[in-house]
Amino acid sequence: MEGNIEILKGAIALMGYGLAAVGPGIGIGIVAGNAITAMARQPEMAGTVRATMFLGIAFTEALALIGFVLFFIA
Amino acid sequence: MDQLILAAECDVANEVICAPADVKTLFEAHGVWFSIGSFDFTRTSFLMFLAAFIVLGILYYGLRNQDLVPTKFQASVQSLMELVRDGIARDIIGPEGVKYVPYLMSVFLLVLVGNMFEITPLINFPITSRMALPAFISIVTWFIFVIVGFRTNGFGYLMAIAWPKSVPLALRWLVGLIELVSVFLIRPLTLAVRLFANLVAGHLMLVLLLGSGVIFVASIGEIGAKAGIGVIWFAFGLLIFAFELVVAVLQAYIITLLSAVYIEHSLHPSH
Repeated sequence: MEGNIEILKGAIALMGYGLAAVGPGIGIGIVAGNAITAMARQPEMAGTVRATMFLGIAFTEALALIGFVLFFIA
Repeated sequence: MDQLILAAECDVANEVICAPADVKTLFEAHGVWFSIGSFDFTRTSFLMFLAAFIVLGILYYGLRNQDLVPTKFQASVQSLMELVRDGIARDIIGPEGVKYVPYLMSVFLLVLVGNMFEITPLINFPITSRMALPAFISIVTWFIFVIVGFRTNGFGYLMAIAWPKSVPLALRWLVGLIELVSVFLIRPLTLAVRLFANLVAGHLMLVLLLGSGVIFVASIGEIGAKAGIGVIWFAFGLLIFAFELVVAVLQAYIITLLSAVYIEHSLHPSH
């Protein structure tokens, strides 16, 4: 049987990115959810909480974006 | 047979429905304008210079000759200065953060203007989607926080990162190793890749959606009424266009915020 897995290279790369996007998706949901809880409990800290939320989102989103870029490299 | 029309060989007479050769042609579509030695000057280079001049113009005309009652443009540049100086430098780094405000302001405005090029009508190409610009900003931030770390803490900077005293002794070597790799390698890498990948994804989506909308509608001669699907793609492309405005400002804010966080971590490495 003369299979050629080279044809599937693009599809495997795409599946790799799909799997890589699950973790950061859940992570960003957790960060944003906890930030909303914090802002509801203590509205006067909303500014600081919002800035820290963006920080947390940036860190977790970086992993999803690394996966996106690797899809194009592979 | 008309379903295969987009996958078929491209005839030059009907060039509107030719598929691009690969992804790179969506990012360097125009040829080289002129060459100085082995340095090619393309439209991207021109746009990078244009962004730099726009940033210089904003800062120069917004911050000179302060009237007692500022004009609208001066007031907006002042509020931008307040955002970077108070909201980012002072809140994150502390009182000595004011020293880094020129650098943070430059990064913020350059990335903001560069990202905004993606949605300005006649340009439609974000200069930060070419890895040169995010990589260079990330390298300069890396040099700044490494040099600041060694200057304020001496050799104790490396020891404070690689041997964190706040971790139980048995795990100190592992956490120290992870921290070393994270601070010196992963952080500059992700700083650049975050900006780059966000902008590449945005530009790619806009090109594909808006471009395919136009292509579908323009090929109404070949495929008849099925060209109406192009209108749906174009409408979705307009939604992504609005989203890209949010992404542009957010990514500029995040890269400045993270640069300030890394500088603060160098100044006080033991948290």
